[in-house]
Amino acid sequence: MIKTDVIIIGGGATGCGLARDLTLRGVHHYLVEKGDFANGATGACHGLLHSGARYVVNDPDAAKECITENTILRRIARKCVEITGGLFVRLPGDSKRYRDKFLKNCEEVGISTEVLSPSRALDLVENLNPSLEEAIRVPDCSIDPFRLCMLNAYTSRHRGGGVLIHHEVIDIVREKGRCVGVKAQDRFNSQIKEIRARIIINATGAWGESIAHMAGSEAPMTLSKGSLIISNHRLTNMVINRLRAPSDGDIIVPNEAVCLAGTTSVPVTDPDNIEVDPHEVDIVASQAEQMIPMFGSTRLIRAYTGVRPLLKASSGDSRNISRGFQIIDHKNGMYSILGGKLSTYRLMAEKMVDTIMNEFGLNVSCSTADIPLDGQDELSGYPLSKRLKKMDNIVCECELVTRDDVEHAINSIGTQHIGDIQHRTRLGMGPCQGGFCTYRALGIMQEIGRVSPEESLLVLKEFLQRRFRGIKPALWGDQLREEQLVEGIYLGILNMGQQ
Amino acid sequence: MNTHEYDAVVIGGGIAGFIAALKIVDAGYKTAVISRGDPVCCLSTGCIDVLSNSDNPLKAIKDLSEDHPYQIVGKKGVTEALEYFIEIMKETALPYRGEVKKNRGILTPVGTIKKTCLVPETMKNAIGDNEEPIHVISFKGIKDFYPSYITSRISNSGFSVFDAKSVTTLGIAGRFEDRDFLRSFISWAQDLDIPHVKIALPAVLGLNEPLKIMKELSLRTNKEIFEIPTLPPSIPGMRLFRALKSALEVRGGHIYWGKPVSSVERQGSRVEAITLATSGKPSRVCGRSFILATGSFVSGGLFALRDSVRETVFDLPVFVPGHRKDWFNNNFFTQGHEIEKAGVLIDPSFRPKDSNLENLFVCGSIIAHSEIMKNQCGHGIAIATGAAAAMKCIKELS
Repeated sequence: MIKTDVIIIGGGATGCGLARDLTLRGVHHYLVEKGDFANGATGACHGLLHSGARYVVNDPDAAKECITENTILRRIARKCVEITGGLFVRLPGDSKRYRDKFLKNCEEVGISTEVLSPSRALDLVENLNPSLEEAIRVPDCSIDPFRLCMLNAYTSRHRGGGVLIHHEVIDIVREKGRCVGVKAQDRFNSQIKEIRARIIINATGAWGESIAHMAGSEAPMTLSKGSLIISNHRLTNMVINRLRAPSDGDIIVPNEAVCLAGTTSVPVTDPDNIEVDPHEVDIVASQAEQMIPMFGSTRLIRAYTGVRPLLKASSGDSRNISRGFQIIDHKNGMYSILGGKLSTYRLMAEKMVDTIMNEFGLNVSCSTADIPLDGQDELSGYPLSKRLKKMDNIVCECELVTRDDVEHAINSIGTQHIGDIQHRTRLGMGPCQGGFCTYRALGIMQEIGRVSPEESLLVLKEFLQRRFRGIKPALWGDQLREEQLVEGIYLGILNMGQQ
Repeated sequence: MNTHEYDAVVIGGGIAGFIAALKIVDAGYKTAVISRGDPVCCLSTGCIDVLSNSDNPLKAIKDLSEDHPYQIVGKKGVTEALEYFIEIMKETALPYRGEVKKNRGILTPVGTIKKTCLVPETMKNAIGDNEEPIHVISFKGIKDFYPSYITSRISNSGFSVFDAKSVTTLGIAGRFEDRDFLRSFISWAQDLDIPHVKIALPAVLGLNEPLKIMKELSLRTNKEIFEIPTLPPSIPGMRLFRALKSALEVRGGHIYWGKPVSSVERQGSRVEAITLATSGKPSRVCGRSFILATGSFVSGGLFALRDSVRETVFDLPVFVPGHRKDWFNNNFFTQGHEIEKAGVLIDPSFRPKDSNLENLFVCGSIIAHSEIMKNQCGHGIAIATGAAAAMKCIKELS
C-alpha cells in the first residue's frame, strides 16, 4: 500500500497543474491517470491560450480570468506557448452591435485590442478572406497541451511526487463513510495498487461524475462534444476567430506545421463513446473556409473530438453555460474540481490547493504564477537542423522523428503504448497519420524487448482502428488517396484484414 | 507546339496501361504510353493477385457481382490475359510463376501468409504455410522489416542480421548490385551455419538482376532462397514496372514519361488529341483511339471531393456509391469500403458508358465495381482489363 497526503485523479491540465502546485507548496501527492497525460478534453481541444476575447461578450468574468492567466502562462510556460496573437475577423453580414459590445467589454476586462483595416489584416495573415470588413487584434496564443501537462508533472516527478499514468482508478476506498484512498489498476499488467491519502481530488473532467459516484457523491455536469479538424498546412500564423457570438467552427489555431479548426457543440452522455460525424466536419470546414478560403481546398488530415466538462445548467444550449469552474466539497474526503478550461488550469489548481492548505491548516501561498515551469530547458522546440542531422535514421518522415527519439521515448517512460511515443515525439502526427511509422515504432519497441511481437501486432491493430476513426469523417481528396495506400499496405501487403 | 501522331494513345503507365500498349504494339500499331510518373505497382508486392480470397481464382469469378470487370472480360479472357503476361515476363529479367486455377501462399513481413496467383521467380520458394521452419536474414537498422514478427509465428525458425550500411530497402537493393558487396554478404551467410533448408530475405536482391543474385546465393549457401515483399517503396513492384516498360520499349512503343495530360481535344464523338504539360514546349499527341488506364484514387485517375468523385482526364461520368457517410465502414480491417465501387462504368466494348465517345476505351482499376481491396484482385484486374480493352481497341483500329 502506498501512503500519501493527496491523491489527484486525472492527468489533464488541471490534474497536472494540481501536482505542480502541491509540489511547490511541499504537499506529498500521487497523480493517477488512466491514459497518458492530456487524455481527455485537454488533449482534444484547440490548443488555444485564450486572451478571453472569445468569452468577453457572454461571460466577462471568465474572460477576465483568461487574460490574467494568458499573461502568466506566456511568462512561465515559454516552451509551450507560441505567441501568435489573434484576430477576430468581421465578415460581411456579421453584427456591428456585437463588435461594439466586444470592444467595450474587452476594454473593461483589460484585454488589449487593436482595430485593423482589411488591408492591414491581410498584411498580417495573407490567406484571410479578402472581403472582410475589419479585424480586431487580441493577445490570443497557441499552446501545446501535451507539453503543458508533461512539464507540470515534471516538477512533481522530480521532487518526490508520485505520477502514475496508464493507471485507472477502479475503486475509491472508503472507511466509515470517508474516502481514504483509491485502487488503481495498471493498464498493461492489470496489477492493482492501493494508494491511501487524506484527501482525494477528482480532476477527471468529463469522467467527474462517474468518479464522484464511486465515492457515493454527486457531481452534476453537462457534457458537450466539440469536434475539430486538422489541415495539412499552417494556413495562418495567427489565431483566427470570427467576430460574432460563439458558434460552430469559429476558431482556427496554428499549431506546429498544421492548423486546427473547430468546434461544434453537441450534447453527449458517455465520454467514452464519442465520434466525429462527417456532418460536423462539413460544418467546421465550411465555417473555417469563410474566414480562410484556402481551408476549403486544403487537405484535412484528421478530425477529432473532445468532451467539454461543463457545469450543469438549467438552460438547454450548452454554449451559454459558463466556462467558469467550480470546486465541490463532497464532505467525505473528496473534492471535485469541475468545469473550467485549459487556459485557466493554473488558477483552478491554485484555488483547489488553497482549499486543501486550509483544510490541512498549512499556510504556504501559491507560487505557480511566479516560477517558470521546470524542464523547459531540456526541450528544444522543433529543431529541424538537429533532426536533419540524423536523416538516415528517420522513422517518421512526416515529422522527422528519428529512431533515437523513439527509443528514448520508449525507454524514458517504459511505455508499451504507441500514443505515449506520439505525444512525446510527434511521431505519426503528419499527413500519413502514422500509417507508415507506427509499424516501425512498434517494430523498434519489440526489438528492444518492451513488448513481444504478438503484443506489438495487437497494439498496431488497435492503433490502426483508432486512427481510422479519426480519419474517416474527413476522408476525401488527397487524404483519401493516402488512406487507400495505407489500406493497401495493411490489408494487401501485410494481409492483416478480415473478409 | 509539337504534334505527334499514333494509332493508339494509352493514358496511364501502370500495369493496365502497359499490358494494353503491349497488345496493341504486338498487333502492329504505332502506340504511345503517357505517364505522370512511377505507377502504383511500384508500391505493391509485385505479385499478381487475381482473386486472392479464394483457392481457385478462376472458379471464384462466377461469385463476383455481375458488375465486376472480370464478368465483362469473362473466364477465358482472364486466363488468356494472364498467360499473355507470363509470356511477356519470360523475355525479361523477371519471369513469373503460377497458374490461374490455383492460388499459392507467400510470406508477409508480419509473418502472415498471403494468397496470390502469380509470383516473381524470386518468391517461388516461399513457404505457403506457417509449418516449415526457415531462417530469415535481415539487415541492421532496416526500417520496414522486423524479422521477429515472422520467427515468432513459425516454430524452430531463426534470424540473423547483416550490416549492409543502409537502412532502406532501396538502399540495400542498390548495394546488392555491387559485386564486392555481394561477395562479402555471401561469405557472411556461408559462415552462419544455418540448419534450415530455406532462407528468406526481405525483397532487396537488387533491382536489375535479382534472379542471378538469388541463384548465386543459393548455390554458394546450398539453401533455397526466397524474397519477402516489403512495404513501399517495394523492390519487386519496381522490378515489375521496369520489366513492362522495357518490354514495350523493345517492341518500339513510345513512352512520354513524367508528363501529365493538361487538356483534351474532342471532335463530336471522338477524342482527337491530348496535350501534355511539359516544362518546355507543350506536346500535342493525336491518336486514332485512346485508352484510359489512369487507375483509381491512389494513382489519381479518380479524385474525391467532399461528396462526389471526379474522373481526372476526360471528366467522364463516375459511378459514386452514395454519400460520404456511406463510403466507409467503421472497421479499418474489413476488406473493402463502399467507396471502392466508385469508378467509370463501361459497356461490353470497354467504352465508357453515357459519354458518347466511340474511340475511348477504359481499363484497370478506374473501372467501377473493381473493388480491389474487397476482392484482392489488384494486378489481376489491370492485366485482364488491359488486354481486353486492347482487343476492342485493335478491332476499332483495323
